[in-house]
Amino acid sequence: MASKGSRAVLEPETEKSAYSNELCISLYTALLKCRMCDEKARILFRQSKFGGNFYSGVGQEATEVGAAFTLRKDDWIAPSHRDWTSNIIKGAPLKSCFAQLFAKATSPDRGRSSPAHMGFPDLHVITPASSIAGQLAVGTGVAFGLKRLKKDTVVVAFFGDGATSIGGFHEALNFAGVHRLPIIYICQNNLWAESVPLRLQTALKDLSERAKAYGFPGYSVDGNDVLAVYESATKAIARARAGEGPTLIECKTYRWYGHSEIDPAKYRIKEEVEAWKKRDPVLAFEKYLLDKKILNDSRRAQIAVDINREIDDAVEFAENSPYPDPSEITNFVWAD
Amino acid sequence: MPRTINYIDAITEALDQEMGRDDRVFIMGEDIGPSGGVFKATAGLFDKYGEDRVLDTPLAENNIIASAIGAAMVGLRPVPEIQFADFITPAMDTIVQQAAKIHYRSAGAYTCPITIRICCGASSGSGLYHSQENATWFTHEPGLKVVMPSTAYDAKGLLLAAIRDPNPVLYFEHKKLYRSVKGEVPEGDFTVPLGKAAVRREGRDLTVLTYGSMVSLSLEAAELMSKRGVEAEVLDLRTLSPLDKEAILTSVRKTSKCLIVHEDKRTMGLGAELSAIVGEEAFDDLDGPIVRITGPDIPAMPFSPPLEKAWLLNVDKILAGMEKLAAY
Repeated sequence: MASKGSRAVLEPETEKSAYSNELCISLYTALLKCRMCDEKARILFRQSKFGGNFYSGVGQEATEVGAAFTLRKDDWIAPSHRDWTSNIIKGAPLKSCFAQLFAKATSPDRGRSSPAHMGFPDLHVITPASSIAGQLAVGTGVAFGLKRLKKDTVVVAFFGDGATSIGGFHEALNFAGVHRLPIIYICQNNLWAESVPLRLQTALKDLSERAKAYGFPGYSVDGNDVLAVYESATKAIARARAGEGPTLIECKTYRWYGHSEIDPAKYRIKEEVEAWKKRDPVLAFEKYLLDKKILNDSRRAQIAVDINREIDDAVEFAENSPYPDPSEITNFVWAD
Repeated sequence: MPRTINYIDAITEALDQEMGRDDRVFIMGEDIGPSGGVFKATAGLFDKYGEDRVLDTPLAENNIIASAIGAAMVGLRPVPEIQFADFITPAMDTIVQQAAKIHYRSAGAYTCPITIRICCGASSGSGLYHSQENATWFTHEPGLKVVMPSTAYDAKGLLLAAIRDPNPVLYFEHKKLYRSVKGEVPEGDFTVPLGKAAVRREGRDLTVLTYGSMVSLSLEAAELMSKRGVEAEVLDLRTLSPLDKEAILTSVRKTSKCLIVHEDKRTMGLGAELSAIVGEEAFDDLDGPIVRITGPDIPAMPFSPPLEKAWLLNVDKILAGMEKLAAY
């Protein structure tokens, strides 16, 4: 799906067979876990098991798994509102994740943020604000701090196509370019910024072209091909770790559902949605693994059973967890 | 022999000493490097500490603050500068949505120990866009501390306290005071605690609640009133958020009269909150109405000299407020 003819586009260079079977199974497991958790969350929201709102990332799993899978524990993630599953990829316990959806006291922020605004500080995932491009700006600051401390840790920042229009995006990427900061910008271009189509967002064909303006490389990849994202991100992470600076990777993908669960997304035509659903990043990779006999039906079924059990335990834990006590409301306004 | 230095030199000295004491501290902003800042508040620091710790940034206020917040999250102590309070608005998003809330929204997991130095306030000729104070905006945001020194001693002591505080602190420095205010400042290390007001003049008859450049004008007016037998107590708030309610109420309960003086605009200004605190908590102690002498409700200070003169507060305007209260 990488658009041809643009110099910004990176074609996957590595044969898929170059990746070990073990890695492929791990990537598949992560993809499936993100998908199943997200679909479960949607169901729970529709059952009014939790309130507020929910921003599903279904359809975009390959961007998250491909980019975050190779991060070390001490690397950082700067997520947006649609990236709650990036915590799961980094190793967050599902129990705490679902407790966050349920706004329980057992959640990482003790019920302060909205359901999908999830960040596990122990895993170096920044607790997100709702401000679009907010975390990529602060994440750039984290990269700035890491470089000052001469660490070899890196930051992966996730954001959508809409975020690339905000001034803070340009300011951050410009700064990252000036100081060759260790950060990888993962733009999940899902063609729609809430209800606004890409054609009203930018005159560019490939958002990765923006990187030229900041003096570092930009690539556009098929965001529904987990190995394409993985390959591109792994190279960018290695580059950042080596002190060679930032990379912008545009992952061309699609969100299956509305901007949030209360958005029926009637601004999109059915044919567009159906066409993208046929390019399901989870099923496409599953089919590839089955065809290559890296995965078989019984293993596949077992992976799903294991994830399901973990989700069920997590939902039970979240449901049975206490809400924060009202007296906690003033806690953490100030640091001591 | 005690040493006397300028308000601005006290700021430079605090930055210098804290950078010397703590490797985590660094400064960043527009024109703060080899140029030493538009008012020379960072003069000499680039030569001493180098670009690594005295960093000229791109002209992008939002990113100056965002990058400081991120650097603070990994354990550093950034002291970013916003060159003029008039130009802090592009950084409003990161200050209010990130700095003020990251500790709360992460249930204390992330702290934001940044100190934002902001040059503010009116001085003659500074016009619409180099004269604004704008400190009050941030007092509406719990999670942010806001300070404004009025003396050279406090300029150093508050800045050292701010940099060592685990919360984001907005340190407003009034440009009119940079070289007009001198005072005794210890050469060594000391701090002025955040959240504590200071009684600059004791008096029994009325309380003046003020801060920044209005402290010296209020003291002048108090001396004139003293000649008429009215003794005003002048309380320098020093920290605008969180307010030192105890000091405010103690003084007002003592004098039973409350005059509020601030340079910034009147409506929804800090005086409105001070007035509410006194009205809610010391109503029975008051012998007269709460009086506010403030900047006018005009977008900002106009440039033409007669307009500027009409805009600026002065001793006479403060005296008028004191006289009004003294009549009760």
